[in-house]
Amino acid sequence: MAFKNSQEKTLLSAHISVRYADKPVLRAVQLKIQCGEVLGLVGQSGSGKSTLAMAILGLLEKKRTHTEGNIRFQDSELLQLSERELRALRGRAIALVLQSPLSSLNPALKIRTQLKEAWRAHASGTSEECMTAIRACMASVSLPSDDEFLRKYPSQMSVGQAQRVLIAMAVMHRPALLIADEATSALDVITQSEILALFRHLNRSTGMAILYISHDLASVAGICDRIAILHQGEIVECGTTEQIFTNPGHNYTQRLMAAIPRVLSAGANPQRKSEAAAAR
Amino acid sequence: MSLGRKLACAALVLVMSASAAANWLAPAGYSKQYREATNAPPSHTHWLGTDEIGRDRFARVLYGTRISLLLAPAAALLSTLMAAFFGGLAGYLGGAWARTAMAVTDLFLSLPWLFLLIAARALMPLNVSPLISVLVTFLLLGLLGWTTAARVLCTTAASLRTSDFVRQARAAGLTGQRLFWMHVVPNLKPVLYAQFWISIPVFILSEANLGILGLGVAEPMPSWGSLLKELEGLVSVGEEPWKFAPLILLAVVVTSFQLLLSKQEEAA
Repeated sequence: MAFKNSQEKTLLSAHISVRYADKPVLRAVQLKIQCGEVLGLVGQSGSGKSTLAMAILGLLEKKRTHTEGNIRFQDSELLQLSERELRALRGRAIALVLQSPLSSLNPALKIRTQLKEAWRAHASGTSEECMTAIRACMASVSLPSDDEFLRKYPSQMSVGQAQRVLIAMAVMHRPALLIADEATSALDVITQSEILALFRHLNRSTGMAILYISHDLASVAGICDRIAILHQGEIVECGTTEQIFTNPGHNYTQRLMAAIPRVLSAGANPQRKSEAAAAR
Repeated sequence: MSLGRKLACAALVLVMSASAAANWLAPAGYSKQYREATNAPPSHTHWLGTDEIGRDRFARVLYGTRISLLLAPAAALLSTLMAAFFGGLAGYLGGAWARTAMAVTDLFLSLPWLFLLIAARALMPLNVSPLISVLVTFLLLGLLGWTTAARVLCTTAASLRTSDFVRQARAAGLTGQRLFWMHVVPNLKPVLYAQFWISIPVFILSEANLGILGLGVAEPMPSWGSLLKELEGLVSVGEEPWKFAPLILLAVVVTSFQLLLSKQEEAA
């Protein structure tokens, strides 16, 4: 694998606790992401997954939250950085893709304008250079880059296309880490598998590490090298995908695995078997 | 489009076209005095008669309409821009900024609008040139009429600040200024348009109120307010019904605006 060597280096190392007022949301969470790996962060709604993502990006409201600990990214201590320094990292070194593609794109702006804004946030140059970068990004996510498409508003696109545009914006500056916060949860299964394939392709072709946050175990299994299980603000288990799925250690992980729906034939499913008998 | 809206649209187009063509329809102008025909009833030379110093009432209604229909949208534009700036920015910044903006707008809103307008105008010199009086009326309406719109815009901007696309743009590394101008302001546009159009009939009526009290546009320049002042001494409606032309015009225009704006109000 092209990026196997780089995977041995730690890209991000976090050890943090976050409180909203008096309510602890993350309790001494320890997380490491290696360069070029895809780490899955799994947990039910309200377990603190998005809070962790926002903490890494420095987007938690400082007045409402209290963050303790440290987040080391490359050579920087993120919690010690000023807003200006964090802004220089956001989008360039750490990018974010949110859950709902249509609400994550500005409904009042054309796609081209939004892509230009993302480019200009960390680059300067002529309009031609900007458009060249935009077209390259669009090609990398398998979207058309002609003027007709770029003139569209988000409401004129399908959900899958909108999600690809978001990903194009996120990978525009070749970030070292992409945080995908429930990025496939709002998609239908076919679009979901296409987006997962795209993530996998981007990971392999650019060596970009991905923090894949989801409560959908099937998608996590399909893309992640390692998985961390977050439960009530604590990482209760972390291991390789195979280890987590075949030999879960923690009670909560075992319950998660048991909750995965399985397709059984009528003969193997006692309930369906009795229903079939009653029908006869 | 419903029949009512079509009629409203036609009425507004007719009134605006007539006022725009005032120089052609009434070439003598609004201040020319026909001393031999003071207080004259309608005739083929003076379609709405003349006033007490012999000025052609039809010409004055046309020019007055022009001034009122220019002044109200100009004041509405000023008040909408102020509301966008103060309300939008305060809502976007949130926290103490939003609380302060809300407190200021509450203070303004606690005072009756017309009382505030009359009191503020009465504090200023009344013996000014007609042009200055137009400017003062425009500024007063614009500077005092932005608070309601600012409240609406503050709330809208506050909800935009926490929206997914602003969070996404923030995560892309955009500065606060770019976020405000590129992501918040374009999404305030529908509310701004609605507030602008809703303000126009309010300001038309407000200018008329000031004019009736002699605090609006100064003589000899006409406006609907100063033309309505003529009705002060009217004893009987039936005697000189043509004097009601400015009042009817005012009612038609304001009603037409209200009919056309019902959808804008829903958007706001």
